[in-house]
Amino acid sequence: MITVMSWGVAGSVVDRGRAGLASLGQSRGGAVDAVSLALANRLVGNAEDCAGMETSGGLVMSFGKATMIAIAGAVAEMTVSNGPAVGWGSPVVLPVGAQLRVGRLVDGARVYVAIRGGISQYGDELIIGADPATPAATEPAPRPSLTTRLRVWPGPRLDWFLPTAWTTLTASTFAVTSTSRVGIRLTGPALVRIDDQQLPSEGLVEGAIQVPPDGQPIIMLADHPTTGGYPVIAVIDPSDLHHAAQAAAGTIVRFTPAR
Amino acid sequence: MKLLQYGPRAVLAEFDTMAQVMNAAHAWRSAALVGVVDVVPAARTVLVVHDGSLETSRLVAPAATTLVVSTSETVILEVVYDGADLAEVAQTCGIAVQDVIDLHSGADYTVAFCGFMPGFAYLAGLPPPLQLPRRSTPRTRVRAGSVAIAAEFAGVYPRESPGGWHLLGRTEATLWDDARTPPALLPPGTSVRFRPT
Repeated sequence: MITVMSWGVAGSVVDRGRAGLASLGQSRGGAVDAVSLALANRLVGNAEDCAGMETSGGLVMSFGKATMIAIAGAVAEMTVSNGPAVGWGSPVVLPVGAQLRVGRLVDGARVYVAIRGGISQYGDELIIGADPATPAATEPAPRPSLTTRLRVWPGPRLDWFLPTAWTTLTASTFAVTSTSRVGIRLTGPALVRIDDQQLPSEGLVEGAIQVPPDGQPIIMLADHPTTGGYPVIAVIDPSDLHHAAQAAAGTIVRFTPAR
Repeated sequence: MKLLQYGPRAVLAEFDTMAQVMNAAHAWRSAALVGVVDVVPAARTVLVVHDGSLETSRLVAPAATTLVVSTSETVILEVVYDGADLAEVAQTCGIAVQDVIDLHSGADYTVAFCGFMPGFAYLAGLPPPLQLPRRSTPRTRVRAGSVAIAAEFAGVYPRESPGGWHLLGRTEATLWDDARTPPALLPPGTSVRFRPT
């Protein structure tokens, strides 16, 4: 058993989420950076879709029994008392009585902690699932290079913007002002609309770049609303979503045409 | 129908009327096209999310067929009409409170689409005399089960949330249950009636 002493910033138990429920008003949910959760799970020998933990720092937990864990996603200052050091991308067994603190994030926006067996029930005490009986990784994972260059496709409402808007989007830099499970707010040159016509709410996808009247784009992430009333100028290529998910406040990102 | 590309794994179909939206959403769901992950109707559009393999030309034929109205069983929601806005709605519409209740509970509704929060269904079929703009100031807290109206829609709040709709009453029905398949009581296309208790 594991006791969570502090959930920290945006800490929660996450799995891969559930696609296919947007017509009922429910977006995918689950890990914002599903690629990193899958990696952490593989490292401890779990199936990729096991539930693990997501945090943006400040997660503290203590271990009531010897438990194998692995860390992926963002790089954070890790502190362990009564146990061996925990590094990025290497499975480690923490003994009974160990306490793990995922501290300040150094690079990236979200840390993933996988626990061998997965999390089957949770509150402030986590119940761990059955041992997967598959071996854990024997070598540390290479750290995938994160890019801040995100490939974009034209969105359904690109023609609601001035003809120069696509160039503004793809030839400028934008700074992340904040990121949450819902989306990423950016600031940069304004993406200007042709007029202020009202858009009836319409379906959104993960990675859609919505533009509110102030012209500053918002990228939709795992917990996005299923519909929205701001025009979508572009969509991030699905294979770059996990890079977007790791863009912390202050990061400078660029959008490049996917084709 | 106009098809708008929405990245490599989605296409947005735009229509002139909500009836066309409901028809196309129903047609595409029924056609169970290979590769389609989700069909998401909204007010004037249907978003089709797929796995990257869908040729959008395959959407054209099913949408061109007008389907017979859904024969699914009607969901009846028992309502206690004691909402905070009942008197004000009656006054604004220039009718008696009992007329508001009779109009609201006398209509046949169909779920046009869901949104705002999991399980929140936008019910088409609200009689025109009850169609009012949203409240000018939204409430910060609306109880779960609140039965409400705004613009051309009726709806029920699945859980407590802020809200700007006019509150007519409340129901004990569970609108969202993760353990149910599907988790929403009122998916798009469902026929709905309200019954006073």
